[in-house]
Amino acid sequence: MGLLRYTVARLIQAIPVLIGITVITFILANLAPGDPVRLMLQGQQVDQEVIERVEQQYGLDRPIHERYVTYMANLLQGDLGHSIQRDRPVTDLVVQRAGPTLMLVVSAYAFALITAIPLGILAATRRNEPADHISRIVALLGVSTPSFWIGIMLILVFAIQLGVLPSSGLVYPWWGPDHYGYSGYPELLYQTIRHLLLPMVALGTLQMATLMRVERTQMIESLQGEYVKLARAYGVPERTILRKHAFQVAQLPIITIVGLNLSTALGGAVLIEYVFNINGLGRLLLEAIIGLDYQLIMGITVVIGTMFVIGVIITDISYAYIDPRVTYGDRE
Amino acid sequence: MAIGESQLDGDGGPSEDVEAQFGWRYTFGKVMQDTTARWGLYVVAFVLFVSAYTMVDSNLSRLTFGAVSDFAMAEALPIFDHPERIPPPGEIEGNVPPAFHVDGTLSHPLGTDPDGRDYFTRIVYGAQVSVSVGIVSTLIGFVGGTIVGAVSGFYGGRVDDVLMRLVETVYAIPPLILIIVFTVFISGGTPDITYAIIGVGITFIPVFARIIRSEVLSVREMDYIEAAKASGVKNRNIIRRHVIPNSFAPVLVYATLQIGVTILIVAGLSFLGFGAQPPTPDWGQMLNVSHGYMHSNVWLSIWPGMAILVTIMGFNLFGDGLQDALDPRTND
Repeated sequence: MGLLRYTVARLIQAIPVLIGITVITFILANLAPGDPVRLMLQGQQVDQEVIERVEQQYGLDRPIHERYVTYMANLLQGDLGHSIQRDRPVTDLVVQRAGPTLMLVVSAYAFALITAIPLGILAATRRNEPADHISRIVALLGVSTPSFWIGIMLILVFAIQLGVLPSSGLVYPWWGPDHYGYSGYPELLYQTIRHLLLPMVALGTLQMATLMRVERTQMIESLQGEYVKLARAYGVPERTILRKHAFQVAQLPIITIVGLNLSTALGGAVLIEYVFNINGLGRLLLEAIIGLDYQLIMGITVVIGTMFVIGVIITDISYAYIDPRVTYGDRE
Repeated sequence: MAIGESQLDGDGGPSEDVEAQFGWRYTFGKVMQDTTARWGLYVVAFVLFVSAYTMVDSNLSRLTFGAVSDFAMAEALPIFDHPERIPPPGEIEGNVPPAFHVDGTLSHPLGTDPDGRDYFTRIVYGAQVSVSVGIVSTLIGFVGGTIVGAVSGFYGGRVDDVLMRLVETVYAIPPLILIIVFTVFISGGTPDITYAIIGVGITFIPVFARIIRSEVLSVREMDYIEAAKASGVKNRNIIRRHVIPNSFAPVLVYATLQIGVTILIVAGLSFLGFGAQPPTPDWGQMLNVSHGYMHSNVWLSIWPGMAILVTIMGFNLFGDGLQDALDPRTND
């Protein structure tokens, strides 16, 4: 019951932020010096009449607040506008490209969590031993290396030098094996993983490094807790203490960090999609920017902002679900 | 504790002990005691020295163990733009591999790029671009954030509400995406490093504002603020003289760490083609160019990434050390 109420409250809280995102994007798009129609025409000489007609068609002759109201009204009906460059509804384009980006970001997190948690625990239990020092160095390198350069280096080693993994594109399992001409689902799965491996590591390394350090700090703190001392005094084996008593509490901050870092991961996806030629939202954004396709740029920004907000809500709710101490806001 | 006791020392003003604990010399000493932080400081100092040196001395050929052609020099330097200079035939020696390679020569220790420019020289000059970009845009965020955060925290109430909602909203759009969109819109479709610097700086104002605000909230309750108010000092002067100086330390640490983050983001922007433009020898921009030569000239992708990695690692190590030194909880 409490949890449901908390979820609803959390969703309501997100509404002003979502409206704010549209306002900011809208202002940014209208901040551009010179009028968008001229930019679109890119210096071509056209009659004043034509310009006026285009302005009218896109409603650019009306004051900004009126245009914003129209934009919001359309947005609520799922209409993000019309892409001038591609002559297609922005919503269609965005929906089509969201899959690859989500697949990339989710797998990068999976990689980060699967590696960071065991390594963080190892570093915490072997504090100031070689394993701890190595984990420190790995974390430092992970935080300091540009993700796109990691991608380039991975391509150089695994795709160009060794030739074992593909350097570009992804295989989308939802298109089915026939689309790619694979023999069946096992091969589809195999190819999906093969294509995903390098971009996943490139995008996930930064997250892995951050999470590993947090996991180490949390485990050290957790292992010094009273309940661990008590368990030791009762003679509970060290392995059990680690697995049962210390581990669970230490995971809570990890969830928060995952939610907050989603913003970095979504931004990083733009770079990784560029390096690995993945047709996701990031590449679409870059193409839209080069073509100065304003409606498309706004649409993508709004969708990515929304993805982040939803991600944070999901982590908040799962945090509340896991940690019984969270009071869902009501104090009784 | 030590601080409390020494403040009661009788002579009224803060005793030397307090100054010793919070003074710059003490902080510097603490940083130097920490081995990793010390190395971070060395790296930062080295990069700063290199960029300052290249601003003064524009002839680096003596560092490359031999004569670098005029053309290669001129094109390598941001301050010597000579687009009109056409190299005489035979002077260009493109795609020379690094010195340790069989075909390499000592006159080009890191090889040359496809246009025959000495890569070592370009990497060295890249420091100047990265460092100035990192420092200038961090400064924009720092100054803007300090003003917004101080005003917001000091006045509280509605001003605070509005500003903090705005900050939260900006947080919801992944920084890299916000910066790309912002940079492109303010530049009207012709990206340049100047726009990138301004874009990054403005985007980070909310981040700084939030940190300063939380400091100001605690400083605001101090007795000396009450005293200043009682003696009729204007609010503006209270903020300037008392609030800002006393909330400075954590923001300063954050700014140091932020320089590294900024360099990383601008490298990403330039890599995507929205930051520095050719022929500026920016590391990110060099990686953009080398992306097309991954199969033939591997070294072109390696060196700029290494340079970014080392620089950011320096700032990170130093920033971490500074944080430990300024954080009273880690004082033993």
